[in-house]
Amino acid sequence: MQASNNKALTPLSAQASSSTPFAEGLLLPQVATATLELIINKALALNNNKAISFAALNQKTLTLALAELSFELSFTVNTGSSPAMVMVRSQVDTSDCTIKTSIKTLTKLKANQSLTQLIKQDELDVNGDIKIAQQFANIAQSLAIDWQSELAKHLGDVPTHKLLQFGNKITKSISATGKQIEADICEYLVHEKRLVVTLGQVSAFNGQTTAIASEVTAISARIDKLFAKLAAK
Amino acid sequence: MSSSDQHSQNSDSSTNASAPSDIDTSADNSTDSKNTTHFGYKTIEKDDKISMVAGVFHSVAKQYDVMNDLMSFGIHRLWKRFTIDASGVRPGNKVLDLAGGTGDLTAKFSKLVGREGKVVLADINSSMLNVGRDKLRDKGLVQNIEYVQANAEYLPFEENTFDIVTIAFGLRNVTDKDKALRSIYSVLKPGGRLLVLEFSKPEHELLNKAYDFYSFNILPKMGELVAKDGESYKYLAESIRMHPDQETLKSMMDNAGFEQTSFKNLTGGVVALHKGYKF
Repeated sequence: MQASNNKALTPLSAQASSSTPFAEGLLLPQVATATLELIINKALALNNNKAISFAALNQKTLTLALAELSFELSFTVNTGSSPAMVMVRSQVDTSDCTIKTSIKTLTKLKANQSLTQLIKQDELDVNGDIKIAQQFANIAQSLAIDWQSELAKHLGDVPTHKLLQFGNKITKSISATGKQIEADICEYLVHEKRLVVTLGQVSAFNGQTTAIASEVTAISARIDKLFAKLAAK
Repeated sequence: MSSSDQHSQNSDSSTNASAPSDIDTSADNSTDSKNTTHFGYKTIEKDDKISMVAGVFHSVAKQYDVMNDLMSFGIHRLWKRFTIDASGVRPGNKVLDLAGGTGDLTAKFSKLVGREGKVVLADINSSMLNVGRDKLRDKGLVQNIEYVQANAEYLPFEENTFDIVTIAFGLRNVTDKDKALRSIYSVLKPGGRLLVLEFSKPEHELLNKAYDFYSFNILPKMGELVAKDGESYKYLAESIRMHPDQETLKSMMDNAGFEQTSFKNLTGGVVALHKGYKF
């Protein structure tokens, strides 16, 4: 019996290892899509901006093919439930809009760099209805989540208030300490070690260089004049 | 480790025979005849199989989801998500979730096919179907779901009805798998596809041994503790070992008429997703 088990294993192992990519066998795309789906739908459930409408996006799919990922991310809206839900999948047969790009380019988009400019530079490839992508982006930007209220539901009003007060104090303290450290480092590099010059010293140097350059130009002009006079005599 | 619904039976000649060495599964196969079949490692009359499997699932129905999460450490959700991803489901599709049990796949499909689509959750076991119906209604999923108590061997639907048929952790419990596959083929539309998610044979011997130890020593004890039914979970482990391996199931799908059949091993072959088309 044992022998027959081993015989059965050999061809199967060989076949499977060639047919199932590593990430797929470990279900990494499914882990990623499940996590994203959870986060997105939690954010939608916490959203306070009731003006957001998903009606135009019902059953529409936006697919993101990121260069850094070996699988696609497809987002499909379902308005059948309340609040509307977004389903995330790692592969779909058809998509209303597919964007091929990289995470780096997405950050450029966030920094308001022109969409057309990025398409011209081949950093972004859009297939399908671009309006779908714009509507998805608009919804993402319109989400309004009151984190303080959400936290208060779990901790209570007073603890949340105290926690946020403490958080603000810590933030201010960290910011002040950071500024102090920065000043100390500047002092050490500029005045003690003299490894770096100050902005004033740089502009004074620039001013002196410009003055010398204009003096040199004037002297050069005078010499040219003298040469011209000598040549005339 | 899911153990969905439906009745079971092996009429197949090849099985996923990684059972403990004291169980001679090959001997079991040789005893397969027109009138006998397997119930785990036992050889029984075919007519008894449906009621015996029904007993198992009536017993575990209420604790089914909790046990699935416990036994698979939640990984069954990823296997099912993989199945949804591979299905290529679109808005407007008609989907049959066969042996659908407590409706995990139905819930996802329902949201993806939209109002113009339809999902039929079918299961032979009324207890599982009731648990599934209650769960989906509690989630507010009512618009496009129908519930049908049906035997996979005799599907009560017209020919060419569905775009997609899925059977997740159910085929191994079907008495005559070949008949069930032919029945599924019949109800699929041309261009439609069948996805079979089922326990299979691990790819590596070490994993196989660890899996055997887990299945026969830990799993029944877990069943005893949580579902108060160790025997049903012993049957689960045995039925997995008696289920056809990846290549055999692929051949069975080919024989039933499916084309472009293929399979993907998940979690080292503990589970495999088979896919086939009707053209």
